[in-house]
Amino acid sequence: MTTPNTAVKIGKLTLRNPIVTGSGTFGFGPEMANIVDLNKLGAVVVKSTSREARLGNPTPRIVETPSGILNAIGLQNSGVDNFIAEKLPFLRNYDVPIIVNLVGTEVADYVHLAEKLTAAGGVHGLEINISCPNVSHGCDFAVDPVLTAELIREVRKVTDLTLITKLSPNVTDMVLIARAAVDAGSDALSLINTLIGTAIDIRRRKFRLANITGGLSGPAVKPIALRCVWQVHRALPNVPLIGMGGIMSATDAVEFLLAGATAVAIGTATFVNPTAATDVAAGLEAYLVENGINDVNALVGAVTQ
Amino acid sequence: MPHQVFARVLSNDPIIAGHQVITCDAPSLAAEAQPGHFVNVLTAERSDPLLRKPFSVYTVDRDRGQISLLYSIVGATTEGMARKRPGEILDIVGPLGGRLFQADPRPNAAHIMVGGGYGVPPLVFLSRELRLAQSEPNITFIIGARRKDLLLCEAELIAAGVDARVATEDGSHGISGRVTDVLEPLLLEKSGLPVTVYCCGPTPMMRAVAELCLRLGVTCQLSVEVAMPCGIGVCMGCVLDLTDGRRVRCCVDGPVFEAAEVKWS
Repeated sequence: MTTPNTAVKIGKLTLRNPIVTGSGTFGFGPEMANIVDLNKLGAVVVKSTSREARLGNPTPRIVETPSGILNAIGLQNSGVDNFIAEKLPFLRNYDVPIIVNLVGTEVADYVHLAEKLTAAGGVHGLEINISCPNVSHGCDFAVDPVLTAELIREVRKVTDLTLITKLSPNVTDMVLIARAAVDAGSDALSLINTLIGTAIDIRRRKFRLANITGGLSGPAVKPIALRCVWQVHRALPNVPLIGMGGIMSATDAVEFLLAGATAVAIGTATFVNPTAATDVAAGLEAYLVENGINDVNALVGAVTQ
Repeated sequence: MPHQVFARVLSNDPIIAGHQVITCDAPSLAAEAQPGHFVNVLTAERSDPLLRKPFSVYTVDRDRGQISLLYSIVGATTEGMARKRPGEILDIVGPLGGRLFQADPRPNAAHIMVGGGYGVPPLVFLSRELRLAQSEPNITFIIGARRKDLLLCEAELIAAGVDARVATEDGSHGISGRVTDVLEPLLLEKSGLPVTVYCCGPTPMMRAVAELCLRLGVTCQLSVEVAMPCGIGVCMGCVLDLTDGRRVRCCVDGPVFEAAEVKWS
């Protein structure tokens, strides 16, 4: 059998395989480039970037819960100017699409970031983070279809890069927000961001996170993430989805593709196994070969009852 | 460079109550590991606990390609380690750490190790490496513990000819008190020599050692102990505030810092 096709399309981007990195779990590239070959990934999604540098939240910022972690990092990053000057030149050395995750508190912040990153060159896609649960006002856009639409519409006006809206599961009806983002010009959707949770130390009778609440990720959230991907895919079958939430193995990745994701992001798994993303990419290709599937796109949404 | 090793366990034996040394066949780690490096170990087979746990490197045998970790049995991961029998596999990522102990290379340098509890093993490694690199290095090793039965590595240090001094909080062995009660007079004893203090242990102990060294103008390197969820610089969970205003990651920007750099909360 010939080598199966693993390439997928997300907006204007062609990914060599459906495996991308989850924002905030892969640094800005240099941290991981000694450990994994970035050119074996479908895309690199770098950590959230804001207009100004952010120090993030106090510690403890990450605590373990059964089969998962709660994080409340608070979007620590050096700001967009530092990203363009210090991080982007390194990433330009690689033959892999670079997607930057954008965060802000106002529409103007996102527009500013989109303009700068589009002009910089070497950035191929923008992932609009409307749903960080760990900062005040971080979820304001994500829970409101009108605000989401307004934000995406304004960003769309200033960039021709592939736009991906990252959705929050912390809403009543995710499809409503998904549709609003797509109608406003989002080329694709990422889902899901983390689920808001907390944990308590009964010995000290204190919250375990300094921020009290944090975002839950890891295998604990996988069934929820898979359900969200399936729901959104069913409602918007032509919109490319990047599925994520507790993917630790190629088996998990295939489940997400079958549920309707065109690509998947490896996040928390990288904390446990630094080569998780490329391991999953290799495992996915092996699955295609073993099952005689000659194009990975044939799996997308192919689950049946 | 950090990499994953499925290392065959060669031995795994208790040394004192609740503490064991596990030795594994891991030539690539043995070749690369330097004092201050740590490794991340995973024992859970099904994602609970999800994260690896960090262990400083205790000893390496480069000729045999072996690495040893000294661990205290305190939770699910170390309980899993304690169950490993020779021949079984230990899942290790390492070596980790960006900034390591920097031993003063001058022949007349006085090296003072200050280790408390599980902070002792990486300093035993540093002492061994110093003895390999220099002929008759001037090493004094202060070991701190709450009680005599929790004291680590004294016999092996003495056997290696290291000047080992002990402080126990209950006075059951060595002097009664804290490591700083031994360190302060020792620094006077060594005055006139270029002294470097290398310290690892619980945060309150390291803070006391750092503040004493700063007050006396002595160079002091600290291997900082904080929870390090990923160990590779990407999760931003292990951040530490420095006196220059930077917020850095212990795992890749440390774990070793100069005493003057650390801002104590």
